[in-house]
Formats: sequence, C-alpha cells, structure tokens
Amino acid sequence: MSLRSREPLIFDRSVPGKVGLDLPKLDVPLPKDTRPAHLKRTSFDALPSCSEPDVIRHFTKLSLWNYGLDQGMYPLGSCTMKHNPRLNEKVAAIPGFADSHPMAPDATVQGNLALIYTLQEWLKEITGLAGVTLQPSAGAAGELTGVMLIRAYHVSRGGKRRVILIPDSAHGTNPATAAMAGYDVVDVASAADGTVSFEDITDAVTGRVKKGLLSVIAEYKEDIAGLMVTNPNTLGIFEHRIDEICKRIHEVGGLVYMDGANMNALVGVARPGDFGIDAMHMNLHKTMSTPHGGGGPGAGPVLCTAALEPFLPKPVVVRDTVKVGEGEVPHHTYRWNWDRPQSIGKVHTYFGNFGMLVRALTYCLSHGGDGLRDATLRAIVNANYIRKELEGIYNLPIKTATMHEVVFNDANQTKNDVSTLDIAKRLIDYGFHPPTIYFPTIVHGSLMIEPTESESKEELDAFIDAMKLIAKESEENPDLLHQAPVTAPLRRMDETTAARKPVLRWTKAPV
Amino acid sequence: MRYLPTAAAEDRALLDAIGANRAEDLLTGVPDHLKLHRALDLPATSSELEVLREMERLAGLNTRFAASFLGAGAYAHFIPSAIDHQISRQEWFTAYTPYQPEISQGTLQHIFEYQTLVCDLTGLDMTNASLYDGGTSCLEAALMAVRVQKKRAKVLVSSGLHPHYLAVIRAGFAAHEELKLVEVALKDGVTDPVDLAAKLDETVAAVLVGYPNFLGAVEDIKVLSDLAHAKGALLISVTQEAMAFGWLQAPGKAGADMACGEAMSFGNSTNFGGPYLGFLAVKDAFKREIPGRVVGQTHDLDGRTGYVLTLTAREQHIRRDKATSNICSNQGLIALRANIFLQLAGPEGLKGLAEQNVAKAQYLRERLLELPDWDVPFEAPYFNEFVLHHTGDIATMNEALIAEGILPGLDLTPYGHKNCVLWCATELNTRTQIEHLIEVLARVASVVG
Ligand SMILES: Cc1ncc(COP(=O)(O)O)c(C=O)c1O
Repeated sequence: MSLRSREPLIFDRSVPGKVGLDLPKLDVPLPKDTRPAHLKRTSFDALPSCSEPDVIRHFTKLSLWNYGLDQGMYPLGSCTMKHNPRLNEKVAAIPGFADSHPMAPDATVQGNLALIYTLQEWLKEITGLAGVTLQPSAGAAGELTGVMLIRAYHVSRGGKRRVILIPDSAHGTNPATAAMAGYDVVDVASAADGTVSFEDITDAVTGRVKKGLLSVIAEYKEDIAGLMVTNPNTLGIFEHRIDEICKRIHEVGGLVYMDGANMNALVGVARPGDFGIDAMHMNLHKTMSTPHGGGGPGAGPVLCTAALEPFLPKPVVVRDTVKVGEGEVPHHTYRWNWDRPQSIGKVHTYFGNFGMLVRALTYCLSHGGDGLRDATLRAIVNANYIRKELEGIYNLPIKTATMHEVVFNDANQTKNDVSTLDIAKRLIDYGFHPPTIYFPTIVHGSLMIEPTESESKEELDAFIDAMKLIAKESEENPDLLHQAPVTAPLRRMDETTAARKPVLRWTKAPV
Repeated sequence: MRYLPTAAAEDRALLDAIGANRAEDLLTGVPDHLKLHRALDLPATSSELEVLREMERLAGLNTRFAASFLGAGAYAHFIPSAIDHQISRQEWFTAYTPYQPEISQGTLQHIFEYQTLVCDLTGLDMTNASLYDGGTSCLEAALMAVRVQKKRAKVLVSSGLHPHYLAVIRAGFAAHEELKLVEVALKDGVTDPVDLAAKLDETVAAVLVGYPNFLGAVEDIKVLSDLAHAKGALLISVTQEAMAFGWLQAPGKAGADMACGEAMSFGNSTNFGGPYLGFLAVKDAFKREIPGRVVGQTHDLDGRTGYVLTLTAREQHIRRDKATSNICSNQGLIALRANIFLQLAGPEGLKGLAEQNVAKAQYLRERLLELPDWDVPFEAPYFNEFVLHHTGDIATMNEALIAEGILPGLDLTPYGHKNCVLWCATELNTRTQIEHLIEVLARVASVVG
C-alpha cells in the first residue's frame, strides 16, 4: 500500500455531460408517457456523470486501500479466511448457471436442480443429518431458519415454549436470532475450561453467580424450546460433553441447534448428527471458501434431523428416478416440491444465494472427501503451531486443547499500557490483517487467531515473528504500538464522532 | 491437493514443534466416541480440469434461451464489462467485512458512496450496507416499522406484493404472536384504496405496497400514503425492479416513509435467484432502528477524512438479544456491483435505460394485443412488466415457446390470476426477438384456433 493522496468521493469527480454507459439504439417506437404527473422521476441529486475510465480508475484506486487475502495472512478468528480458488469464480460465471432464471420451468433448469441436490447430499454426509435446505443467505439467516424449525416443531406438538438457552461464549447472532424468532434468551455460564458449564459458576471478583446448564434446565424445564451451541465453540474448543448436553435438553423436550460457523474444524473428523444435534447451519463462506466479498454474500444452509425435515422452507428439491430398460443405468430428473403443508414458508425470495452454492460444490468436488478431511487437520495443525510458538509470550487465558483457532489476550502486555487494540494495529504495520479482537467477550481483551489450512509454514513463521516482535516492542517502546498503524493509508479513526454526529451519505454542498 | 500449501517435510516440522506425532493427535478435545471412525463416503480429490468438466456438464443440463420475457422479481439487464473485471480484484472479493478501517478504506468508501446512491434513488435520508434480498428486506422493514411505531402491532401488506416476499414476511411474523399481518385486496391490478381505508386504524404500524407491484402496475403511493398517514401509519414502498427508479419518482418524494426491495437489476445476472441485493432506506428519524451495517464518515488522528462502520450500538455483536436484527454478513460484493453499475450509468444512463424498458414493454404489449387470444384484464401504468389474459392454453403455448428457445412470461394461474401471464421486456429484448415471439404465438393460436 502506498501513501498516495486519497481518492475523492466519486461525487466530487462528476462532470455533467460525461457518460460511462452508451445506450443501445432504440429499435422500437418511443414510449408513451403513462405515469401520473406526480410519479414522474424529477431529478437525481447524487448519481455522478463519469466516463468508463473515470469509474474504473476510481474503484481501482479505492481497492488499493483494502487489504485482501492474496496479500498475506488474514487470521480473523471465526471468519475462516481461507484461499478462494479461482476455478470457483470461473464456474459460477458459466452462462448456463449465471443466466438461469429462478421462475423458469423445472424442466429447463435440470442442471441447477441436480447441483443443489448434489451439494445437499455432500452436506448431509459431512454433518450426519438427514434434512437440508440451502435457502438461508448467511450464517445468521441459517440460525433464524433453524430456530423457526424448532418453533414449528413445538407448535405442531401443541407446545408453547418461551425460552432459548445460549452459552455466554456465543456469537451475537445467536441471541439476536432467538429474539428475532420470538424467544426469550437465557444465558448459560462457561466453565473455567471454556466449555458449557453444567454447574453454577461464582465470579471470583464480583461474587456474582452465573447459572450453569443444570440449574437453568431445572428452572425453565418445559419452557425450554431449545439450546443454541457453537461447536467447536468460539474459543476453538470442542464441547466435549456435547452428547450429554443434547441428552439433557432432549429430556425436557427441548431441541439443540448448533451454530456450525466452525464446522471447518470438524469436516471428516466428527459429525454433529452423531452428537445428538437437531438442527445446525454451515457457513459456506467459511468452511467451503466462498469469498467474503468485503461483507458478503454468504450462504448458510441448514441441516436437520428427519423429525424436523417436514418443517423445512419450501420448496424442496426432489429427485425422481426414471426407469429404463434392462441393463441400462437409470437416470434422474429433478423438480421442486412446493406441496409441503408443514413448511415454515420461505426464508429467501427464491432458493438462496445460488451463485455461492455453485462455488461451494466446486470446492467440494475439488477437495473430495479425503481432501476435505486433510484441510480440517491442517487447519488444526496450523492453529496449534501458532499456539505453541506464542504461548507464554502472549497470555493463553484458557489452556484447554484447541482445534482450528486459538484465543490469547493482552494480559502480559497491559502492564506496559499496551492493549489488544494496539497489538492488532501494529500487526497492520507488519503486513498482516489483525486477528478478531475483543471476541469472544468472555475473555478479557481477546485476540482470536485462525490461520486456516491455506497458510504455508513460511507465512505462519512470518506471522509468529511479527507477533514476537510486537511483544518485544511493547516492553521496549510501547508508544510505537500506541501510534500504530503508521504504514496504513490512514491512522486510527475517530469512531466516537462518527457515531455521535453521523454523516451517512454525501450531500451536495449548498451553493 | 493443490490448495494446501504445506510440503510433507514442513508438515513434519510443524508437528515436531507442537510435539505431536500425527495431526490426529491434536484431536484430544474430541471424545473418541464422537469421532467419525471411517472416511467420508464421498468422491476423491479431483483436478481442476475434471471439476471444470463436471460443472460444465451440469450447466449444460440447463436450457439456454435465446430470448427471455420472464421477470417476476428477477430481471435480466445489460451488465457493463467493467463490473466483472473490477469486482474480480482480490482487494474486493477476498476481503472480509471492514472491521479494521485503516486497511479497509476501499470497501468503506465504496459503501458510503453506495449508501448515497440508494438514498438518491429512493429519496430517503439513510440506508444500510445492504440486506440479503427483496423478500428479507420486506421482513426487516416490517419488523422495523413495528419497533419505530411503539404500541402498534399490526402490519398491512398489499396483495400486490411479490408472493414470495409475502411468504418471507409471513414466515417471519409467524414467530411473533403479538404481531398481526393483514392483507389488503387488489382492485384493477393495484391496491384497493377502499379496502385499505377500511383496514387502517390506530393499531396499524405500517402498510407495505409494491412500487411497481408484482403485476407490474405502478401503484399511486401518494394516495396510499395519504391514507396511511391519516391514521398514523407509515407507508413502506417495496420495489422489486430497481431499474424503475430511473423512470418513477423516488418513493420518499411521493409519500413513502421507508423504501425496501430488490436491486439485483443493477449489474447482476439472474443467477437462479441469488445472490441478489436487498435494500432498505428510511427517514433520518428512524436511523437508530435500521438493521445491518452502516458506514459513516469521520477522520483519523491526523484529521484526514475516512470511513468507519458506525451506529454499531444497534447491532448483534453489541446488543445481542436487543439488537435491531440478527444480520451479520450481508450482500457486500453485490452492493459493489450495483455501485459500479450506477456510477457508469449516471443520471442519463439510468433514465435512458429505464425509458428503453418502458418502450420495449409497450411495444411487446401492443404486438401481443394484435393476436386474437390476448386481452387486457386491467389498465394501469406499468414499467417493464404487465399482465395479459390468455384465452388459449398456456401450457401449450409455453411448450411451443421453449422449443423455439424463448423463455415465456410467468403463468399467473398458480398465483391467483387464472389464465393470466406476466410479461416482461427489458433493454435486452430486441425488436427481432419480440417479432419472433409474436410469430410463434400466432402459429400456436392458428393451430389451436
Ligand atoms: C460463531 C459465528 N456464528 C455466526 C456468525 C454469523 O454468520 P454470518 O455472518 O454468515 O451471518 C459468525 C460470523 O461471523 C460466527 O463467527
């Protein structure tokens, strides 16, 4: 990244009379104006007038102020920033897929339906669950779909349950989802080893008691619709009593939802269906490497047990086997089934972020079952290598074995008045994207590092060296860290003013 | 496996450093009885060439059409070549949500510009960085209206909304016993003002109306918003074809308090329904209730202008179960496509494209009405879609059209409009295509007739 002067807003580059798009010649008569006078578009106040080179240069310059995955390690914990294979982009752009229409007759989109069916089969085998929908657009949308399934299940059995239990280590989308699905959220404490606590936990400092799973179950019993649990959890730790958690919740008639954001640590190694999980989502934009796009689009398929299958969003894809003559290989046709009386309805206008599903299946086919497992194991090796090399230099607040990510904090640096934020910003100066910081919230000052399987030993070593150097700097020259970043296009931003006096769009300067 | 960068010797070095013999030894946290003690029952690793061939085979099973007259919420428009090139830069498509503003100014400034353009198109004060799609934008808008309008728990939805949008709202509302959803009937293809007036009262938080609606008709949102406002309800316009903003007045300037919908038309293929681009724009007074990411302008320590994610106190990572929504990842890259598209189009391009859509649709409709078996079920202004009633057999017609490489308009029979077809024409439809369509239809009519 260079320190060239900044690219202005496009609105300041606009020169009336310029065009960036020439219209095709109109080959039909000019239209009659049928609009009521008060519904005629009068003006545009911001749309800029620019040529194609203006616009390309504008965005290209802007892009140079971004850090991307191909520049170096991007160890955002929980976000799984793994390599984005270029083949996947190429395949998603094949016109047969890209130009297909969601309302086209089933007989004309057999390739799409076969693709959806095939990806579903892969995800079922990977998770060990029987039902699946690819409709949800992202992880949070998957969570909402899953909790809606749980709700529909209880309603179908005449039950009216009010509460969803959520461990305090959960991602914010879990409680937000439960509330959006009409439930009250009840927290469950985490034990010292970072996993869901069965017993109550007394805070050593405040003396406050946080309830563990057993007392929460005893308190809410038949009012419990379900529990949402992340596994491996947001500390990168496998919930080793997950089967027992499921059993306890099932005993009071509740169901268990698994946030599968960290499924990249389990593929080929263990299957949620074998733990007793009733429903879960996977983030294809994490585990299956569909690109994050600077904030999306994602894809959050939901998998569930046979008992929940009737409630899945509609339509569902069905495969029919076409009978053929003796000795011939039967072939298949596919169709959407809309006749699903118990379905929760729709959670996406059409069938989900199909373009991301194309990429995900491409990823699956490339890896194969063996390659997927290999990727899982390498992600775990890489995270444990970082853990080993940095433990002691950085404080490891929870010592339990970790899988694909590791959470340190700034406890060793605070004595020099150096915080997690300072460490993160200094990493920018060394050419890395910072890890996820201050999440999970149950660890004070978390630095959550997820290298993924895509990083070579060379890159891991470079990152480790940078982290060690920063620890040294925090002893010798903490002000270097307070000032960081110094090599980025901008220095630290005033976020307080941004929120207090929000400027959320450009407006024309008054003349 | 070509995507895994570690050589065997390096693997050994990593494991030695950790003190493990094999990678499997690191799974000590997973109880043995919960491990999968077999290989996944899936095919083996494949080369890029093999995978490409397989995916091309699947794509080849789809019918490629020479011409399409199908819209219904998913519109094929021209995509300037610059868009694919630009969004393929790794700086855009591989990056995560811009959590670290110092090295994400590209994404942040783009979102700020995108927000500006959505406000311009909708005539409203503020918007977010995007929502998933048209259907979920309606659900978010309806839930937001109930939050803004404290003590009002009913939402009215026009039956003219896209049926799938209605299904998404219904599914979301089913979870909330305290909330009510009531449909308002259509009359002559648009929301019936008499039925709306009858259903409006002090418990109604908002009214959602298509603009244009699912039948392609341009609703008079001025009249409808006056009715809503008289009872203290908000008017939410729902636009499933954002290209119409080049022709129709900004909803915020015609009485809407909020505007939501689908903006896939700006630079995207139809992609079998996704990824698309949900949007939601609102009046300034509601800004702290909007769902999702919002970017704001600020400055750095040296006073240089820059951009950050802001108003985060609404969001799930801060407010958890009190957040305005659960949304986290949105449709970032699709918003970028829309932003590039709009900057290339500019005011003249957008107006011009919109006009061409109107011209093509009018020409198509006139030509269809020259045929003996098409008539007009209702008269209403339309943008690039309209409904005609067919006296012939729609299945027979569709078969003939598909055989000729033409994707027909949508048969509305399953959607409550018997023997009606929703036709769409955009700037992509040439006069020759339209003439070919008419020729095939005339042939079908003469055979049947
Ligand atoms: C643990 C966890 N749960 C849920 C989510 C939400 O996923 P999405 O952003 O796809 O909605 C995330 C992503 O950040 C996550 O890390």
